[in-house]
Amino acid sequence: MIQTISLLPGVTLRCCRDKRFKQGCLSFQLVRPMCREEAAYNALLPAVLLRGTRQHPDLRAITEHLDTLYGASVSALVRRVGDYQTTGLYCSFMDDRFALPGERVMAPVVAFLEELLLDVPVKNGGFLPGFVESEKKNLISTIESERNDKRVYAMSRLLKILCREDSFGLPRLGEPQEVEAITPQSLWAHHQKILRTSAIEIFYVGSAGCETVADLLRPLLSRLERDYIPLPPQTDLRSSRGDEVERMDVAQGKLCMGFVTPITNRTPEFASMQVLNALFGAGMTSKLFVNVREKQSLCYAIGSAYYGAKGVMTVSAGIDFDKEEQTRREILRQLDACRDGQITPQELQAAQQAIVSSLRATHDSPGAVEGYYATAALSGLSLTVEDYEKSVLAVTVEDAVAVARQLELRATYFLRGGSQ
Amino acid sequence: MNQIYYPELDETICRETLGNGLQVAVIPRKGFTKKLAYFVTDYGSIHTDFQLEGQTFRAPAGVAHYLEHKMFDMPGSRDVSEEFAALGASTNAFTSYDMTAYYFSCTDHFEACLRLLLEFVSTPYFTEESVEKERGIIDQEIGMNEDAPDSRVFENLVQSLYREHPVRVPILGTSTTIREITPEVLNRCHRAFYSPENMLLCVVGDVEPEDVCRIADEVLGSIPGPAGEKLRPWQEDMTAAEPEIAVSMEVAMPMFNLAFKCESLGKGEKAIRTEMVADLAAEALFGESSELYLRLYEQGLIDSSFGGGFETIDGCAMLLCSGDSQDPRAVREAILAQGRVLAEQGVPEETFQRMKRSALGRRIRSLDSFDATCFRVCAYHFSDFDYFRFPEVYRSITAGEIRDFLDRVIRPERCSLSVVYPLENEGGNES
Repeated sequence: MIQTISLLPGVTLRCCRDKRFKQGCLSFQLVRPMCREEAAYNALLPAVLLRGTRQHPDLRAITEHLDTLYGASVSALVRRVGDYQTTGLYCSFMDDRFALPGERVMAPVVAFLEELLLDVPVKNGGFLPGFVESEKKNLISTIESERNDKRVYAMSRLLKILCREDSFGLPRLGEPQEVEAITPQSLWAHHQKILRTSAIEIFYVGSAGCETVADLLRPLLSRLERDYIPLPPQTDLRSSRGDEVERMDVAQGKLCMGFVTPITNRTPEFASMQVLNALFGAGMTSKLFVNVREKQSLCYAIGSAYYGAKGVMTVSAGIDFDKEEQTRREILRQLDACRDGQITPQELQAAQQAIVSSLRATHDSPGAVEGYYATAALSGLSLTVEDYEKSVLAVTVEDAVAVARQLELRATYFLRGGSQ
Repeated sequence: MNQIYYPELDETICRETLGNGLQVAVIPRKGFTKKLAYFVTDYGSIHTDFQLEGQTFRAPAGVAHYLEHKMFDMPGSRDVSEEFAALGASTNAFTSYDMTAYYFSCTDHFEACLRLLLEFVSTPYFTEESVEKERGIIDQEIGMNEDAPDSRVFENLVQSLYREHPVRVPILGTSTTIREITPEVLNRCHRAFYSPENMLLCVVGDVEPEDVCRIADEVLGSIPGPAGEKLRPWQEDMTAAEPEIAVSMEVAMPMFNLAFKCESLGKGEKAIRTEMVADLAAEALFGESSELYLRLYEQGLIDSSFGGGFETIDGCAMLLCSGDSQDPRAVREAILAQGRVLAEQGVPEETFQRMKRSALGRRIRSLDSFDATCFRVCAYHFSDFDYFRFPEVYRSITAGEIRDFLDRVIRPERCSLSVVYPLENEGGNES
């Protein structure tokens, strides 16, 4: 189903040919280590690239060009995948078969990707200062706006506590002062360096064959001066302990709890951990939803999430300020129930089915296909969707209990009302 | 069944009206695994006033949403979510100002899932105890919403734009109004708006359209139910109630919604055409390829959070834009000024053709999303329009219509600005 071609040392093209879709998607990711020195650079770079090229010198020229290509879109792509951070561009475009006779969409989109990456207007050995300064400002306000969404904010605070010794605790977009320190020249040097040395992951899903995509990419790749430096493999989490309460002027409290597990994408019990997470806290039939929300009416939103690249499980709940102790106790009581084997066959099956359904539907959406395959290999997950499904269905109650017993609570964060 | 193929989109839609009045729309997607079904009523948070069987009622604000939560209860302690989960499906629902939708997606056991969806949405079962318990959950949802600046900024906007229209009231209602909701109230609203002839069943996926109709007929029966009549007593002229509204919250940077009040659309092809004209007008005025967007972006007055379009709700419509800005008032002034320029000069033909091509391509791409397609087919259905006809409507729109629309709408008296300022910067008083 997925065809993989190595185009240059460290440059991998993965293709999912599928003629059912009305659009094609192409992602171009430079793979970097997630580290304090680079996070802000990697986050800023694609936004600056999207400001203008030598041929299309400003935002308006770029949008007009994309409008001509039937509203194709090219957007910044910055992801965290375990210890790695990826930076690059994501293109989605209407399939050629809907264009007027004689017109093509994909070929010019790939050519435009090349232009955005390589035909960069340069001044004094750097990007144009106007582009860099205004995108720095935008990035800083994006970072600062994180606190607008209290759930997201609370979760990032928790991860900073739990993972302060690990790359996973670094904010994905860097810190405002790190963005502030970037200059047009230092960003340009970074751009040149990462094009030369990074692993490059290109993923395509759509109606074209892999060879066609490779041919379209050749002009771009032939312009890269490569000196590939492989990255170290993903590592397990170095976790820290901590409990923090913060006050803010809010109507609803946010309780976040961080658990660690030795089980990651790269360990055989991975599927068991996914199933355990689903039956414990993901979705409307999970223990947390049914007991903490439905039976006790303690909250509206509650759920758990498992980050397989690192072996972290988090729980978050939106609650009344005075319900913190009660909610915390109830969450741990539900986890203890899992550890004690109080898992019904119905709960197990519902959890398995939920995961399997979402896996089976992966191939029905170009975005989902890209999201899965463009990150799976990087995170160390070597399963296809189909094999993943099989291992989920093989999980037993005993397997789920065993992984529940390996979870350890290491950090909590509570956002409550009242002045600071 | 009435089946139409749209070669330009490579889409088919099959429609049928059942004996009980239920409308069915099926969009077959051969070769796909996922199946998505929406069971939708043309009833939302604004429809609190209605007549049923000769009597007039006014329900408490928030009732449509409360009802949506409580529909998941079934007699005999059955748990609907659990039953869907056992079938490997996931189910959920949402309430908007003028629509309530219940849906599931599955890969297997489609027939069992569809039966369950139709059964639970057509079975009102509300006990004192369960209605009481839900109050705590919805109260938490209201609290969460109060802390969400993007909800607050929009809710404030509609309160400052409208004088009477119930869009002024939050979809969830308030902590006070939801206290008035009882099983009796829920039963009455269900009776008024959940009978088959008020509803649409829309399915996207590799299914047999005839099977969908047969199953719906079997589960819902063939006898039409009572039908409530919505009352729309509100009167709105085309001026904004207040030019500005501002609050302060925990946000990093001022966040704004800016809207121009527009005439309500009504139904049918004319309404849809107006909607597409308005969308293109928004694009011409402040879309990413507009002169204004570039200028404001380069001046640092807007960033990539900025965007907008045309919003329609039963009985009201607005041209809306939103984003973060250090100076929302300057954004408003710039939009008003550019509106005048475009109203006088119009949009050049070449620009206009490119905009239409872009809008068309983006709509075609969005057909890959089952959810977006299902939602749009439902929403347009209640406006009496077949969504897949959008290419021909686009083709027939002229640049003159864009200009006329902007000339009519981009006026200071139609405009309201809602801002959420950061706490430390009480910006409401600056000039």
